[in-house]
Amino acid sequence: MDSIKEYFHTDWAAMTLQDWLGLGITVAVFIVMIALYVYVFHPTRKEKLESHKHIPLDDDEFTLYKSERENRK
Amino acid sequence: METTAAEQKYNFEVVRWFTVATVIYFVVGTFIGVYIAAELAWPFLNFDNPYITFGRLRPLHTNAVIFAFGGCVLLGTAYYSVQRTCGVRLWSDKLAWFTFWGWNLIIVLAVITLPMGFTQAKEYAELEWPIDILIAVVWLAFTFNFVMTLANRKTSHIYVSNWFYLGMMVMITYLHVVNSLAIPVELFRSYSIFSSVQDAMIQWWWGHNAVGFYLTAGFLGIMYYFVPKQADRPIFSYRLSVLHFWALMFGYVWLGSHHLQYTALPDWTGSLGAAISFAMIVPSWGGAVNGMMTLSGAWDKLRTDYVLRFLIMSLAFYAMSTFEGPVMSLKVVNALSHYTDWTIGHVHSGALGWVGLIGAGAVYHLLTRLWNAEIYSVKLVNLHFWLATIGIAIYTIAMWISGIMQGLMWRDYDEFGTLTYTFAESVAAMHPYYVLRAAGGFIYSVGGLIMLYNVVMTIRQASGEPRASVATAQA
Repeated sequence: MDSIKEYFHTDWAAMTLQDWLGLGITVAVFIVMIALYVYVFHPTRKEKLESHKHIPLDDDEFTLYKSERENRK
Repeated sequence: METTAAEQKYNFEVVRWFTVATVIYFVVGTFIGVYIAAELAWPFLNFDNPYITFGRLRPLHTNAVIFAFGGCVLLGTAYYSVQRTCGVRLWSDKLAWFTFWGWNLIIVLAVITLPMGFTQAKEYAELEWPIDILIAVVWLAFTFNFVMTLANRKTSHIYVSNWFYLGMMVMITYLHVVNSLAIPVELFRSYSIFSSVQDAMIQWWWGHNAVGFYLTAGFLGIMYYFVPKQADRPIFSYRLSVLHFWALMFGYVWLGSHHLQYTALPDWTGSLGAAISFAMIVPSWGGAVNGMMTLSGAWDKLRTDYVLRFLIMSLAFYAMSTFEGPVMSLKVVNALSHYTDWTIGHVHSGALGWVGLIGAGAVYHLLTRLWNAEIYSVKLVNLHFWLATIGIAIYTIAMWISGIMQGLMWRDYDEFGTLTYTFAESVAAMHPYYVLRAAGGFIYSVGGLIMLYNVVMTIRQASGEPRASVATAQA
């Protein structure tokens, strides 16, 4: 246990501005990635997001203007 | 859509030129690699000629395969898929042709300057400052044309393959410009503005991200368009592709420091690089599984569709390389693997297996679409596939054995604390594996030559007749 505490020991007083900036960016990116994970895999967004996967297969349809597509529907 | 109508709607001509250039550079680049591999096995092949020594031809090989072959397949497929997924023609045909001729001019300049010994001595960024400026101009023209085509799109959503291409464009611009910052002293001589360990860190920040954003993100753009198209099935999970994209964009930039374990770089930076490298297995494998599972319920297609085999096998190598890389970045493994042939084996399982195979698969797919013709010989596609696969296996296994043996020989010492082997003894021990490496590379390159023949014959016989949607084997 002591060795683990020693391994993770940080001298906070010695942190420079660059260190704090780096730490801030790292933590922010980590939080954003968690938020992205929740956003992407939330069940309510499944249908909307998965509907885009047909774009390469329906590329002829996507050559139509939006209004033309809506008329087809 | 009829091909003629598509022809009028889109700019396919520039894609055709990029496709042909891709195949030519594939053959040239890999055969230069075979020659320098043979030089290492049989040094007399230098012929005491300074222009063809390993030190000068090696950067020519890497530039040819990464920037000539890789660049042409990336630019060609990006121009093709952005038009198809956005339903619009390229924003500017003139700019597209400028990028084609500009990119090829850069390659010609590399072919001239590298054997002459002009180099910045930065790995994968050897070209001197005037060529660096030309690269930046052409790359920005490519990026601008791509972005403007996206801006003109008829669709509300930008398909994920375009996100990967766009990520590559933004990051490579940033990386190339910063890493190439130098003070010119002559037309073909300059000195980096960075020095010492900062120079090393910037170099490997570029070096690993050239792999991460150019050879991975760019080629994932190819994967997300061409695997569903060739399989005629949508990607397994679009949500996973979104997560794959953002995880890759956020994660890859941290990895460069793992190239500098046990150097003057602060110890914690190497640990951070290794930790994030390990974390990157998750999105990388997520992406590989996403591509492979696209065939879920239709695995039988692999039995008959030889082009699809290239694409799926490339994903297997993508998964393997993105596991091996993080393992090698760990300090305990790196202490053995660094500076050995294991690294060469790792790089080539990714380059030949992932980049080479998915590039070839995209070329075969484009061949039928762009020239409105059946592939000349499906049997030759199959022969290419097996030659490539066997060649990679021989190459990488030889380098794994050679590298681990090197590492063990270098670290071995006797009871008096003296090294057991001299460096020369370790070089002599490598000889059989260097021969095997040259043989594996040769087999792989012959596969590329067969692809070139198949491409030429397909184009020659293109008649404008309606074609089948996939190149399938005849029962």
